[in-house]
Amino acid sequence: MILKALARLNLKNKFFISILAVILIISCVIALLARWILVSGLTQELELRGTAVAQSIAARGGTYLLEDNIPELLSLIFDEKQLRERKHLVDYIYVENVDKRVLCHTFTRPFPDELPGTNPLGESEQKSVRLVSLLGHEAYDIAVPVKEGLYRIGTVHVGLSKEHIDSLVAKLRVMFLGFISAVIIITFYISHRLAGYITDPVVRLTRISDDLSRGSFDSSGILDLPDGRWNITDCPAFSDTDMPCWHFDDQRKGEQKRPDDKTLRRCKECVFYRKHEDGDEVATLTDSFRNMVWSIRLYRRRLSESENTYRSLFNSGPDPIFVVDCTTQKVLDANPRAEEVYGFSRNELVGMDFTTLGPVQTRECMMLFEGGGDEAGCVRTPRVVHHRKNGVPMFVNVNACPISYRGRPAIIVAATDVTEVVEKDAQLIQASKMKSLGEMSAGVAHELNQPLNAIRMGSDFLAMSLEQGVTIHPEHFRQVVTEMSAQVDRASGIINTLRSFGRKADLFDEDVNLNATVQAVTSLISRQFLLHQVDIKVDLATELPVITAQDNRLQQVLFNLVTNARDAIIERRKGMEKAARGLIEIRTFVDREHVCLSVSDNGTGIPQHVLEKVFEPFFTTKVTGEGMGLGLAISYGIVRDYKGDIGIRSREGEGTTFTLRFPKA
Amino acid sequence: MRILVIDDEMPTLKMFVLILNAMGHEVLTAESGEQGLEVLRAEHPPLVLTDIKMPGMDGIEVLQKIKEENQATEVIVITGHGDMDLAIKALNLDATDFINKPVRREALQGALARAEERIQLARSKAAAISIYLREGDAVIAVRGTLSTSSESALKDAFRHAARSRNNIVLDFAENTSINGAAISVLAECVRNARTEGQRIAMVGLSANFRQVFEVMGITRQIAAFASLDDVRF
Repeated sequence: MILKALARLNLKNKFFISILAVILIISCVIALLARWILVSGLTQELELRGTAVAQSIAARGGTYLLEDNIPELLSLIFDEKQLRERKHLVDYIYVENVDKRVLCHTFTRPFPDELPGTNPLGESEQKSVRLVSLLGHEAYDIAVPVKEGLYRIGTVHVGLSKEHIDSLVAKLRVMFLGFISAVIIITFYISHRLAGYITDPVVRLTRISDDLSRGSFDSSGILDLPDGRWNITDCPAFSDTDMPCWHFDDQRKGEQKRPDDKTLRRCKECVFYRKHEDGDEVATLTDSFRNMVWSIRLYRRRLSESENTYRSLFNSGPDPIFVVDCTTQKVLDANPRAEEVYGFSRNELVGMDFTTLGPVQTRECMMLFEGGGDEAGCVRTPRVVHHRKNGVPMFVNVNACPISYRGRPAIIVAATDVTEVVEKDAQLIQASKMKSLGEMSAGVAHELNQPLNAIRMGSDFLAMSLEQGVTIHPEHFRQVVTEMSAQVDRASGIINTLRSFGRKADLFDEDVNLNATVQAVTSLISRQFLLHQVDIKVDLATELPVITAQDNRLQQVLFNLVTNARDAIIERRKGMEKAARGLIEIRTFVDREHVCLSVSDNGTGIPQHVLEKVFEPFFTTKVTGEGMGLGLAISYGIVRDYKGDIGIRSREGEGTTFTLRFPKA
Repeated sequence: MRILVIDDEMPTLKMFVLILNAMGHEVLTAESGEQGLEVLRAEHPPLVLTDIKMPGMDGIEVLQKIKEENQATEVIVITGHGDMDLAIKALNLDATDFINKPVRREALQGALARAEERIQLARSKAAAISIYLREGDAVIAVRGTLSTSSESALKDAFRHAARSRNNIVLDFAENTSINGAAISVLAECVRNARTEGQRIAMVGLSANFRQVFEVMGITRQIAAFASLDDVRF
């Protein structure tokens, strides 16, 4: 109970009360001890004095008693009683003879009747002390025998005034109590001050901590030193946030440091860090606390600066940025650019399901938190279709990075609007296709001429027979008619392929069978290539899985690869006397999870030092004016769009193999 | 007449067989240049029709080989429509004529007729060039095949005409064939005459060769007429 109450007290009062209690207890013990010793000592001393007086009377008055010289005896006891200060102490003296008759006394009034016999002295006793009361007050009656030789001839009674003794004791007590009180008061004051001295810094630190917790860093005042020797601006790390602070850097020890870290400026000996060389623990604690506050303040400042930087980045970013909750897929925050691009107001965006804007893969999102993605933990998805408020679709490159937003797993989704790029890309591809078509035109004209020729001759034959009135042999007639119709089909086939090749691709992906792509392209070019003495060998895998892409764009890629191969073959022939036949092999096959298409040729091959440059835009080995050097760059872009890749294997003088790999749809 | 047709296109070959048969010719076929040469060596047909664009040995090579082996064999090349470069290249290599693809019956008949005539003309390669005056115009009549060998005769004729200070009419027979070298000689003569201030007209000549003249820029310098009676300067 008491302990509980004690625990509720603050430290200052605890100190105060405990010091006070200890002092009080000690004082009381001292007081009691002293009182006991002093009072009993005083009483004893006074008794001894009374006894001495009595014995002195007994010694000197013996003869008077024997002689029965009462007046001498009386004068003796009066002398004794009146001597110096004894008169206050000694209340009375009287002498009795053996028969208990009072011989003389010092009372100035009649001898009190109740006195005799109240303090009888035994036969062998040397002294007897007894408290007696007489005439309304009390006295210590000391009886001492008067002896003559061995015989007792009388008794001397000395009455010590109890009142006097009591007053002495009282005086002593008052003095003593006064002293104790003074001691207590002084102790009270000192303990109060001491408790205050000990607890005041703690109280102050507590107040500062509270202030800090409430976010007030300036009101704490702990940094304002009374000596004014230190200034905020003295710390270089405060104003220069680029400057590494050893506090800061020490915390980052675990992280990977840049190799040139040593060259960075660091506060080896922190300017602001203070430590008392001497001084008590409280002062040291205050200093430590002050340093801590400074660190917090420094970090807070850096944090707020960083927060402001990122906030302004978020707000002023040229691309829409969303914060999306991983589990509910709701938009938690969006920047102004997102409002602009998507056409929703911020209020509409926040809390909106992100799936209304575009696809968000929950699985991928969670994967980010499990450490999928690249080094920074981000996942990049190119060419995703998102929808604006008015339903207009657009293409965006999505960059998703995991963050923890208000304690929830979330992703930051940055969506770069690449619709224009995609469209430009499509235009570029279309342009390059048109160029290819132009290059092909001579060959296509030749190709178209063949069926036309057969049809023309067939119809001429029929017309001629008609004019000449000759009956056509039914077999010949059948031959002509079927051949003509076959040739018309052939011509329209060529035209269809041409049109599908020249058609502008729409921007959406479809399921594509690479075999169909190969067939479309080869039907267009194989005969022309034959005229260039280049054979095309096609080896298609049966039951090839489909991939997600656009047939039209893939045709362009394949066409580009095949014409490159042809050019390489023709290039190789230039230096040769006896031209070998060119061979282009087109294969489709499945490699684990990938659908592959390879184009091999026996042309010049690509020199090793050029190999890594072939996909660079405007890189060409052809003579100026013959090639733009965009073909492979565009092809690479197309293949990458469909998450595929292009591999090259080449040996100079022997040929090149391009292998396209696409993930299964 | 026995005719060898070389074409890599099976349907075209079939049609050639039918139509040439209907025209009363005997037809030999070959699907490639190599095969064509073999047939030629075995059968010796006087006339060869060959496609130019073929895989393997192309028409030009076939033409060269044929002319190497037997200069007298008439070779008509089949070119793509409007592909005059190849036609002229073939004429330079002594092809006697060319037909554009798609092959029209009339063109085919004409070419065959001219070839037949030429073969009948005692297979003389040298052209008969004669010059005479007609109503004050100098008429240069060309018969047969105009080739490199007739270069001096052609030049002489133009010199004569130049001396007479008359307008010049070039009178070609319908079956006249002109090879590439002769065409450039002719062009040069025409240019010279023009600079001399002489006006030149032209009569006859198959549509094929007129096309060649057009490509060579000769038709810009001379006006073409259907017959001698139509000639007006």
